[in-house]
Amino acid sequence: MEISQGGDDSYQKKFALPVDSEHKATEFRLFSVAAPHMRAFHLSWISFFACFVSTFAAPPLLPIIRDNLDLTATDIGNAGIAAVSGAVFARIAMGTACDLFGPRLASASLTLLTAPAVYCTSIANSAVSFLLVRFFTGFSLATFVSTQFWMSSMFSARVVGTANGVAGGWGNLGGGATQLIMPLVFDLIHHIGATKFTAWRIAFFIPALFQTLSAYGIFFLGQDLPDGNYSQLHKSGDKHKDNFAQVFHHAVTNYRGWILALTYGYCFGVELTIDNIIAQYFYDRFNVNLHTAGIIAASFGLANLFSRPGGGMLSDLMAKKFGMRGRLWTLWIVQTLGGVFCILLGKVGSLGVSIAVMLIFSVFVQAACGLTFGVVPFVSRRSLGIISGMTGGGGNVGAVLTQVIFFRGSRYSTETGLTLMGVMIICCTLLITLIHFPQWGGMFCGPASKSTTEEDYYMSEWNSAEKEQGFHKASLKFSENSRSERGKRIGSAPTPNNSTPDTYV
Amino acid sequence: MESYLLAVLSLATLSFADTCYGGVLFSTLPQTLAVSASPTDGQVLKAGEDNITVTWGLNQSFPDGTDSSYNEVKLMLCYGPISQADRGWRKTVDNLSKDKTCQFTIAHRTYMRETQNFTWMIERDVPTAVYFVRAYAYNSSRNEVAYGQTTDAKKSRNLFKVQAISGRHSSLDIASVCFSAFALLSVVGFMALEKRGRNSAEN
Repeated sequence: MEISQGGDDSYQKKFALPVDSEHKATEFRLFSVAAPHMRAFHLSWISFFACFVSTFAAPPLLPIIRDNLDLTATDIGNAGIAAVSGAVFARIAMGTACDLFGPRLASASLTLLTAPAVYCTSIANSAVSFLLVRFFTGFSLATFVSTQFWMSSMFSARVVGTANGVAGGWGNLGGGATQLIMPLVFDLIHHIGATKFTAWRIAFFIPALFQTLSAYGIFFLGQDLPDGNYSQLHKSGDKHKDNFAQVFHHAVTNYRGWILALTYGYCFGVELTIDNIIAQYFYDRFNVNLHTAGIIAASFGLANLFSRPGGGMLSDLMAKKFGMRGRLWTLWIVQTLGGVFCILLGKVGSLGVSIAVMLIFSVFVQAACGLTFGVVPFVSRRSLGIISGMTGGGGNVGAVLTQVIFFRGSRYSTETGLTLMGVMIICCTLLITLIHFPQWGGMFCGPASKSTTEEDYYMSEWNSAEKEQGFHKASLKFSENSRSERGKRIGSAPTPNNSTPDTYV
Repeated sequence: MESYLLAVLSLATLSFADTCYGGVLFSTLPQTLAVSASPTDGQVLKAGEDNITVTWGLNQSFPDGTDSSYNEVKLMLCYGPISQADRGWRKTVDNLSKDKTCQFTIAHRTYMRETQNFTWMIERDVPTAVYFVRAYAYNSSRNEVAYGQTTDAKKSRNLFKVQAISGRHSSLDIASVCFSAFALLSVVGFMALEKRGRNSAEN
């Protein structure tokens, strides 16, 4: 990331939170809105929440929309796939946009550019127009990357995991909240006097307005970095711009990034798929009314309040005792269990048990998302932005794949689709066993050799010309800080050459 | 004697089995009602504007006592096969408690021997689809005991179409376009403000 050379002395700023040498906050105070750190946190999770609400506003109202627009099961499936496919590339592009323009401008612009798609959902009149509005609305999910990027700019390594986990989790909450909000808004408008086929159209103005307002909030109240906005800092020379080609190269040649991108598709991707299909599933299979189906579907997404942050915290906890190997094992176990409960969800036939299984399934699948982003920051230091974008994009690819294979048209009943999806989760999650860090090891193997260090791994991303110019210094700092990923055996290991023979956990 | 009683009791209990397990099977119902509706084959009607006049009564070719258990009659608007294709939420299932073929009630009346009719304004939430009309006769325990319909057994003849309302209004259209334009103009505004901020940082 950027190297800040402006020292504390040049800026006589007083921050509400304790900060480190880069002016990143070292504490995370949830109930504070102090500028710039906590304010950035609240602005970013609220706008990400708004984007999720808009993207999944259609599913709870599908029983009405499918009759109004004369949709078939295939049309509905295609629209659901379109909703999550746009963000695949948008998420990758967003990492670059944040680098160039800063997370504030990038996320405010994207949020506003996708708001018209939500407004225009009100005037959709066919399967094609419905698919198009869902496709363009789905681009807004790329704000995940700007959220994570912004948190990484504002919070130091000690608390960045928590900040990222809570911001990501509370944003994802939107996918659950919308299943409650939209049927309620629809009911209200219907009672006031609009017919069903008009009421759902009016209802879409609510998420659209929310999205517009959150973009305004980010632009006027937010700030890219603790010390100011990119536009100010670029000019004063405080921010150094890295070479995009090199950053891109180091991202795509790191196989761990690709594995995590795929496996994220089977926790986050599955979460998106369920957001799309679960309300209709309960409405059609168990004959509950629209309201009830919405509440049940909402509880799936609402578990994000604690389960994704919990996954992130669990990852940090396991790392304290067992290092990176602990993070990997926990991720594999939790995500596999998510697959097991998905299989069960398709099998149970009674409403009460189905809801219970769905809730357990939601906790595991969302915790796996948090656990994944406990590993991602360590895959690459130089290319963190693109690796995060790739992983995020991979999540959406998983959503596209699962919907195409299992939930489109009438080939499988929804319950069979759920069971088969659970099997696919378990199979794809096995790839985590292949992740190996030479300095820390993988699930089944220890480190490559006793003398392989964190510096060896992170310095391999810089060539000697760049090292001469001192661009690698931030990575060096990061290597030192990441020694905690060795687990209990860190002791006090200062330099690579003096490492004592360690007991491997 | 006891074994005979047991047999009778079990038969009596089993005869309720259908209703206990919630669901009369459509295939067990006799088609004793004669139903006709005003729309002709292939006619297109508009929801919220047009009417359907339905006439129903016992099919006179059946003997007199056939309708002794009929208590109520419900007339339903039912989906034709083409509107059920690839739409699992409109599926035809033999068990009537799970059947989703008929989702709109035209009329719900006490059964009378004489032929009755009713004119129904097609409601505004009826979707665009191909339909036929079916009548179910219920006994005093509210279970289906007979039916009649305007189409044949294969549901291929005498189907009519309803064109739904779009639900769109010009005020909604205008509001959507205006708000969208406002959002897009805001992005331009933000870029301009940002550029101005950068220029003033230079000075």
